[in-house]
Amino acid sequence: MAEYVNKRTNRGAFADQAPFVRLQGISKHFGKVRANHEITLDIRPGMIKALLGENGAGKSTLMSILSGRFQQTSGDIFVDGVNTTFTSPKDAIKAGIGMVYQHFMLVESMTVAQNVLLGQEKGFLVNPKTQEKKVAELAEQYGLPIDPSAVVSTLSMGEKQRVEILKLLYRDSRVLILDEPTAVLTPAETEQLFEAMWRMADQGKSLVFISHKLKEVMAVADEVAILRKGEVVDEFREADVPNETVLANRMVGRDVELALDAQPVELGATVLDVANLDGDGLEDIQLSLRKGEIVAIAGVAGNGQKELVEVICGLRKPVKGDVAILGLDWHDFYPRPPRKGRSLAYIPEDRQGLATCKFVDLVDNFLLTTRHSFTSGPFLNRSKAIDTTVEIVEQFNVQPGHIDADARSLSGGNLQKLVIGREFFRQPDIIVAENPTQGLDISATEEVWQRLLEVRNRAGILLITSELNEALQLADRIAVMYRGRIIDLFPKTDTKKVDAIGLMMAGVTPE
Amino acid sequence: MGIELIIPILAATIQSGTPILYATLGEMLTERSGILNLGVEGMMIIGAFFAFLVSYLTGNPWLAFVCAGVCAGLLGLLHAVVCLVFQGNQVVSGLALTILGVGLADFLGTGYVGITAPGFSPFEVPLLSSIPMLGDIFFKQDALVYLSYFLPFLFWLFMNRTRWGLALGAAGENPAACFAAGLNPVKLRWAGIFFGGLLCGLGGAYLSLAYTHLWTNNMTAGRGWIAVALVIFAFWRPGRAMFGAYLFGGIMAFQLRLQAVGATLPSSLLLMLPYALTVIVLLFSSARGKGRQAPAALGVNIEPGE
Repeated sequence: MAEYVNKRTNRGAFADQAPFVRLQGISKHFGKVRANHEITLDIRPGMIKALLGENGAGKSTLMSILSGRFQQTSGDIFVDGVNTTFTSPKDAIKAGIGMVYQHFMLVESMTVAQNVLLGQEKGFLVNPKTQEKKVAELAEQYGLPIDPSAVVSTLSMGEKQRVEILKLLYRDSRVLILDEPTAVLTPAETEQLFEAMWRMADQGKSLVFISHKLKEVMAVADEVAILRKGEVVDEFREADVPNETVLANRMVGRDVELALDAQPVELGATVLDVANLDGDGLEDIQLSLRKGEIVAIAGVAGNGQKELVEVICGLRKPVKGDVAILGLDWHDFYPRPPRKGRSLAYIPEDRQGLATCKFVDLVDNFLLTTRHSFTSGPFLNRSKAIDTTVEIVEQFNVQPGHIDADARSLSGGNLQKLVIGREFFRQPDIIVAENPTQGLDISATEEVWQRLLEVRNRAGILLITSELNEALQLADRIAVMYRGRIIDLFPKTDTKKVDAIGLMMAGVTPE
Repeated sequence: MGIELIIPILAATIQSGTPILYATLGEMLTERSGILNLGVEGMMIIGAFFAFLVSYLTGNPWLAFVCAGVCAGLLGLLHAVVCLVFQGNQVVSGLALTILGVGLADFLGTGYVGITAPGFSPFEVPLLSSIPMLGDIFFKQDALVYLSYFLPFLFWLFMNRTRWGLALGAAGENPAACFAAGLNPVKLRWAGIFFGGLLCGLGGAYLSLAYTHLWTNNMTAGRGWIAVALVIFAFWRPGRAMFGAYLFGGIMAFQLRLQAVGATLPSSLLLMLPYALTVIVLLFSSARGKGRQAPAALGVNIEPGE
């Protein structure tokens, strides 16, 4: 991964000023769940503060309190030393605190300028020309290139994020909270974002950077606060920020292996062969997968990965080209694909929507794709299914292990473990795993990775991931997708190409 | 068919299309705020009845016209209570509103059926009415028709060039973004439902104040449903709504003429024409594309605490 060089020019210029905001003893309870406990934090001008923690550590809750979305159960917020209560985002915006949400809060059918100025206009009539001019000036000041007259739905994720930031800047926000801002960006866009962040901090803004990506935190932050189980367990100022390993340990509270040692296993027969696949935004895709290997498809989301997966998994007909699955042509394999044994298993990215049903229990969720193993004639042997579900839940460490719980009561990581357990139970020869660790914390990620490596012995795995590290940790071969094409496909051992992945993801083909 | 036959049909087209235009714009306004209100038919007929009643009692058709709008808007607020306070199902609530409105109007109007009341009569617009053909078609109408000529433009101006219109549109596209921008999408939707209902009521009022000058049961005769379909046909754009409303007005006027000249087709078949066209229109407009999408949050309730 590219190393980021901190380009701040004006760091420390505001060091002697009082904090904009002080959070004092903030606690937040949702029913019996304690999301935040006695958190005290200072947010100072001209500083980029990273809030580091695993999923469910309470980062987002804390920032939702600060931005007025939730109200704290107890504790005080001081703005410029004055005790302040926020009852809605409006209050927080007035106090100069704004948040860039992970899921953008934009009106897709409106222009950039209309979005930035929504709710900000005085008077009755509005003039698009003046609106666009105002936004263009602001964008210029903070180095956030954007076309103010463009309709938001036509923008890239990076551009949409800039619109969100501009919205806050237009409202004279002094504190900008960025919730996992790099999750949707290309490496180049990430760098651009960091530069804009530095520029904003140099002009005296406070930034709060929520993340669980250590590298980025190390690169961009002036201060780091680590949250675990709703509490601040550590806080580091500028010079004292320790190295990644220490941060990771503090974050999870135990030692984790961030790097795996994946040894290649013996390759078997070819299970998937895609040749000259065209259409639906795909262009001339060539891809083959053998038993015993993991082929990772790296790339920023939205570059055709979804379409490719849908074709392979039978959700979409191939427009042109040949797709051979387990030696059969696509049209012979579907629409009646084998359900177990020599079959294809799909672990979708959308765990809650596509992979499971929120409102039914674990047994029925388990049966969603494994029903055929428990039927005799028209009857379902439910007691056998229950026993098997219990086994799977135990074997894959799904917490909490009540099989009569609804799927929605499980955290993302545990739900994913259930899905993986279910799909592995079918003993498939091909596994298509789509961002299998997205949104999972470090320990769950590690478990999922281990499972995928284990199952390599009897299946070929196609791993679609937008996390470069995941591709590097697991894959035997890596394909990089950009705009519907596979830019390159190379073994992980080809270090020269591995180093150029970031460029390839942005569409640059190295010499 | 000669020109002397076509011009009256086209003039009648404008007249038949006008109540549909009012109602279509009303439903469009409500839908742009994110609420689907299938109670158009009910609100229209309530508008028609109260327009008649107020005009009958006071003799002032303008007062009647305004009261009709307010009454229909108030009826619409029932839908707002269900959808915005209790987050109920918008489809069911809208259907109930139609049943309630039609029933209520029938019940209240029992004693008045066939009675006439003062209303709007056609007058010629100076100069414009002397334009050959166009003058006869467009400028020998009543005041409510002239008013309706401006409505689509005003609607467009409101939605695209005013602060409140843009805010209302945001509530229909992405209430969360609207809220995050410091606006109150629930309040905006209340307004969308009320003023949308008001326009539907004005459409109903046209039927009892200008199209006829009397009250009969079931005056709206499905025009509310046509308006609901036209919103989709118009892709939520006011200009197309005008086109659609006159298209339907044309069919209605045409089938009336055909009946009048004693065409050999059974009259029930002719009466069916507008509704058959509704189905066809919906079939064609199901081809969605860029700039044709429904408001993204249409029909999606705003859950509290989000």
